[in-house]
Amino acid sequence: MTGSHFLNLSKHLIFISILAMATGCATTQTTDSTADNVDSIEPANRVFFNVNETLDKHLMKPIAETYVDLTPQVVRTGVTNFFDNLKYLNVILNAFLQGKFEQGVNDSLRFVFNSTLGIGGIFDVATNDLRLPKNQEDFGQTLATWGVDEGSYLYLPLMGPNTVRGVTDQVPSTLLNPFFYITSAALFPISALDLINKRANLLEASNLRDEAAIDPYSFTREAFLQQRDFLIYDGNPPVSGYDDIFSDADEESGGVLVIE
Amino acid sequence: MTSKNHLFQSCLKIIFGICLFFSANLTWAENEQDAAIQIPVDKLHEALISIMKNADSSSFENRYDVLERVITQQFNTPLISRVILSRYWKSLNEKAQTDFIALFNRLTISTYVSRFDSFDNESFKNISIEPMKQNRFLVKTELIQNDDKPVSFNYIVQNDNEQWKIISVIANGINDLSLKRGEYSSVIKEKGYDALIASLKQKISDLEPKTTQ
Repeated sequence: MTGSHFLNLSKHLIFISILAMATGCATTQTTDSTADNVDSIEPANRVFFNVNETLDKHLMKPIAETYVDLTPQVVRTGVTNFFDNLKYLNVILNAFLQGKFEQGVNDSLRFVFNSTLGIGGIFDVATNDLRLPKNQEDFGQTLATWGVDEGSYLYLPLMGPNTVRGVTDQVPSTLLNPFFYITSAALFPISALDLINKRANLLEASNLRDEAAIDPYSFTREAFLQQRDFLIYDGNPPVSGYDDIFSDADEESGGVLVIE
Repeated sequence: MTSKNHLFQSCLKIIFGICLFFSANLTWAENEQDAAIQIPVDKLHEALISIMKNADSSSFENRYDVLERVITQQFNTPLISRVILSRYWKSLNEKAQTDFIALFNRLTISTYVSRFDSFDNESFKNISIEPMKQNRFLVKTELIQNDDKPVSFNYIVQNDNEQWKIISVIANGINDLSLKRGEYSSVIKEKGYDALIASLKQKISDLEPKTTQ
């Protein structure tokens, strides 16, 4: 590991530790709102959200839209496949850490086939020809399966929504990305392409959010936290979780929900 | 000995017959209930496919009318409104509650009409029905798309005056009821209830074409 890489990793770890300490204190407060409990540093989060939104509106979104206008879908799919494949070692590791051995083996095969037959991951031959679907695993999900609490909601500068638990994924995902071990000026345009392509893939979702949300900040928070639960439970969260929202109404009506 | 055996066998047959009768009745009742629970979801899907198919030939107003009948009948909007506004619901007088229900109903319909605005041979597939607390059920379905992965569409359904009604829609893990509750609660806390109502009216206006009132 080079000195600069170690420095980057240290920065990540220090940043995460500070966040964990700050939010750890905040989550001990008792409030009467679920949102207050989850989003204990909301004022700071809102500041970062506004900064990101401004940057996005004036810089990232226009660039992503131009990128979509200039490149055919097939090229964008290839770019997405390439970067997803590069980050797939983290998915494999976390599948095993969660005890999903069969999935871990399939994910390993997927990585091998896409990296070779799929020419460096540009073509997703594993999904299309070998019935090895892409999975979404990360260290935040792994910690969730190990019983670690999600901690406070975080909205991070440049990185967007996360939680204290979820942000820990920065360490393995950085260390397992082959680009982390390459020091070259060529990495700048490649990283820029990754960022622009990622933003382009989110254009539809962000437009949908802008169309639906009356408070984009809380809409993003709620949608993100629910989507995380969905991923943690591999698309099948326990049914009982959906009952919680009705508990007040159930209690008020003595067990039977009645609307006057 | 033979007559004892015969009596024993007769008793067994009667017990077996009674068990079969009750188990058949139970299965029939469960099937009947499942079919009834599925009705509001099927009616919504039918209406959505219909407005999607007619997106090019039918105006927003016409598609709104089609969906209004279904959503008003098949969604328990009063309950949805009460759960979404949570503790703020009680602070509203009866007129304000009724007004909110009407406004939210209109927002729901406009949102569906605006989103389901094209057809590419999509279809809905029923997956399963799972029991929840307080006689609520989770109806799991999928929107099957031509060139993309299926989208999970789950519905929470509850009985209201002898009719099963939808009380929440969960699309790909995102529970609309929960999302709106968090979002509206934030707006009320930051800017007040009147600001929420103004935002909802603005949202409806943005969704509906300018020709619609």
